[in-house]
Amino acid sequence: MLRVEGLTKIFDNSTDQIAGGIRDASFTLEPGTFFTLLGPSGCGKTTTLRCIAGLETPDEGVIAVEGRTLFDAKTRVNVPVEQRSVGMVFQSYAIWPHMTVAENVAFPFTVSKQRRYSKAEIADGVRRALAIVDLDGFQERPATRLSGGQQQRVALARAVVHEPRLLLLDEPLSNLDAQLRDEMRSELKRLQSKIGITTVYVTHDQSEALALSDRIAVIDRGHITQIGSPQDIYFRPANPFVARFVGATNLLTGRLIGSANGKANVEVLAGRQIQCVVPQGIDDPTSVAVSIRPESIRLVARASGAAVGDGENCLAGRVSAVTFLGASRRVDVVSDGVNLHVTTAADMPLPADGEVLLIFAPERTVALPGKVA
Amino acid sequence: MAATDARTGRWARLSARQQAVLATLLIVILAALVLPPFLFLIQGSLTIAGPVNDAAQFGLGNFEAVIRNRHFVTTSINSLIFAAASALVALVIGWVTAWIVERTNAPLKGLAYLTAIISLGTPYILYVTAWLLFFGKAGPVNHLYRTLTGSTDVLINIYSMPGMVLVEGFLWSPLAFLLVGATLRNANPELEEAARVHGAGVWDTIRRVTMRLSLPSILALSMLVFIRAIEAFEVPALVGLPGRISVLTTDIYSNMVARAPPDIGGASALSVLMLGLVLVLLYVYGRLSRHAERFATITGKGFRPRPFDLGRLRPVAGSLLVLNFVLLLLVPMLMLVWVSLLPFFQPVTAAAFKLISFNNYRTVLASGQLELVINTLLVAVATATVAVLLTFLGAWLAVRRGPGGWIIERLATIPLVFPGLILGIAVMQVFLRIPIPLYGTLGILIWAFVINYLPYGMRYCSSGMLQIHRELEEAAAICGASALTRLRRIVAPLLAPALVAGWLFIFLMSARALSLAILLAGPRSQTMAVAMFDLWGNGQGTELAALGLMWSMLMAMIAVVFYAVARRSAAGALGRA
Repeated sequence: MLRVEGLTKIFDNSTDQIAGGIRDASFTLEPGTFFTLLGPSGCGKTTTLRCIAGLETPDEGVIAVEGRTLFDAKTRVNVPVEQRSVGMVFQSYAIWPHMTVAENVAFPFTVSKQRRYSKAEIADGVRRALAIVDLDGFQERPATRLSGGQQQRVALARAVVHEPRLLLLDEPLSNLDAQLRDEMRSELKRLQSKIGITTVYVTHDQSEALALSDRIAVIDRGHITQIGSPQDIYFRPANPFVARFVGATNLLTGRLIGSANGKANVEVLAGRQIQCVVPQGIDDPTSVAVSIRPESIRLVARASGAAVGDGENCLAGRVSAVTFLGASRRVDVVSDGVNLHVTTAADMPLPADGEVLLIFAPERTVALPGKVA
Repeated sequence: MAATDARTGRWARLSARQQAVLATLLIVILAALVLPPFLFLIQGSLTIAGPVNDAAQFGLGNFEAVIRNRHFVTTSINSLIFAAASALVALVIGWVTAWIVERTNAPLKGLAYLTAIISLGTPYILYVTAWLLFFGKAGPVNHLYRTLTGSTDVLINIYSMPGMVLVEGFLWSPLAFLLVGATLRNANPELEEAARVHGAGVWDTIRRVTMRLSLPSILALSMLVFIRAIEAFEVPALVGLPGRISVLTTDIYSNMVARAPPDIGGASALSVLMLGLVLVLLYVYGRLSRHAERFATITGKGFRPRPFDLGRLRPVAGSLLVLNFVLLLLVPMLMLVWVSLLPFFQPVTAAAFKLISFNNYRTVLASGQLELVINTLLVAVATATVAVLLTFLGAWLAVRRGPGGWIIERLATIPLVFPGLILGIAVMQVFLRIPIPLYGTLGILIWAFVINYLPYGMRYCSSGMLQIHRELEEAAAICGASALTRLRRIVAPLLAPALVAGWLFIFLMSARALSLAILLAGPRSQTMAVAMFDLWGNGQGTELAALGLMWSMLMAMIAVVFYAVARRSAAGALGRA
């Protein structure tokens, strides 16, 4: 459905040390996929989206939608943006203030050069698009009298009204407050599966990405560093960057010393040995980062003498801080001079002396190639 | 599918080219407008007229003659002193008034706005003649002095350098007030509040925070007024020449008008030298302006600075505003009314009251001044429309970084370098050599005026364009709109307030321009300002007053509309120097 190969677009920023942009991005999407480009600000995800839309001209690469080449650097094909028949929702929604809701949504029909649409056809298309976003009846409302959430839904209606093959969304939820964001997130997912349109979604919010996507591409400073399902990305990150960016984690510097039963023995901290899974393979035994998610760690009082389960990893430490987060508690534990975060239930008791054991399963201990930055 | 592709393919190529075609067209038009005056002026300055037309040679003879002229140094120094001093006067009056109006709870603030707005529509020549009448030898001030002291001398000799400085300073104070006011109004109050919270008193806060922060923009503004004063014509011509004080502009004018045949070579050489000076000054102004922008703070959150409570000083501030209103608006207007009702100028005495009549008004209305009004309105409307149209497209291309946008912006801003008088000479030379019969018609006036006001149009349209989020156009493009469709359906409606404000501004400026028109207006193509200049020169002060007052009332109404529109459209260029 969407094929991107070797996409490269570099911006010359004389003020920054590293030039922004995207380098050598490649991915192929099946029809109906919800695909997210995830990464921190400035990583190149919006650049990639704008290249697909035609708002930026890449330096190299190929972009094709349903077999039709939209861009090819080698053969000098560059379909102008007005011709690409995609739908796009901008971060600012870009609702035209001098038009009504109906005029905004009908715009793709009224400027279409392919064919003339009759008034009835336009009204019908607008009504259907507004019905999808639950705004039917708002046709005559001036665009200036819409709330943030409503503007976003109008933008969405406008993006799908002419039934494009591809839908592009540039951080559409970042301007909404937390509660509205949650609502709209579920709405988006529902809409996308109902319409079944191939969607490319850009965000820096990893929880959004995990909740919405069929597949995620994590981008670090212009390079796609991992593509996979949300579960893949979360439980089997490719490198320390992905582990740290998607969900909170503890990263320990480690040294690979051996393997047994499909698990690796890694030495961390001051000579402690733990067992890990190695989803990506490790080239350099001295360059290992071990990722343990805070919710995977069980805290037990050292003095309680509780048994450590067979095959479980165990480290000792001392509680240094406790933060109440409502539904849970974040406990900071210092072990061999290194700070570790643990997520516990909000009402779980902690020992008075602060001496605890951190217990976690090898399946949840992931050894990754690379250094802890 | 193949047929649709072929059709859409052709259209695709056209659409992608629309921006490029527009840009090329605009560059050609702008270059044809803006570059020839430069070239022909320089050519004219290098042409040494020989005894016979064919014997004209090229050389630096004109420049030598100008520089060797023993008055050249005096004239140049006069220009600089005049400009600097009047800038100072205008800035002091403007800043004090603006601060009182924008930052305190003084009474009668409306007077300051009234003064400023009315002045936007009134030709300078009217103000100058009114003050000349007021402060002149036979005017009320000196008359009162003589009556009280019995001397035959004058208290104030207005025909002197101080007199010139005073009048020019008065002329520029309303604009200084508007521009400084806008800066003060948009300042971030939190910067001052931070000072107050940490212990600084009112006076300390003003001295160490408010003034320091507004200093860069005030410096930039002073530079602007200084440049405009160097290029000034009305005051040096009406006040300086009778007092035998010449500045660069009046010298150029004399070369053209006071000699037969006109010394075009000498005038051109002097003009080129002035151009060089202004170029340097504009460069300095550009640097100051950019520096000022770094200090610019826009609240955006809708919080306005809290006005200072003046307490017992409220009446003092109020009387300053009244004084400002009286000096800058009331005195000239009353003077003009008085003069317009008399058969010839005389001091305010009981006897004079018996001579009051409306004869002057009747004369003016009967003498077919209609053609004059139509000419002026025609020129103003045509100039405003063409200039706004060109700069609308130009600003769109420049702000959106379209092809050639940078060149277009440069071309549209270059005319700032030309003082009005010099642009007049340059355009005259263009049409003396190019076989297009515009000389002596309204066409040449419109041509010159459009060139002159391109930068102002560009300023309005660019500010407006910058406020339109890029994504609004991108969304239209994604929906399938071509460049022209985007311009028509998205950009133009959203830019409308800035376009209207720019149009009205250029209309008002064109209607009252004198120095630009004075060398280009022919007997059949006179404008109101030129006609008034002639009336004064012929000693017909009373008719001048009657005509001037009626014209000013008409223009004042338009100026009020302009101010209302500009205030509402956030893109008002009154907000930036």
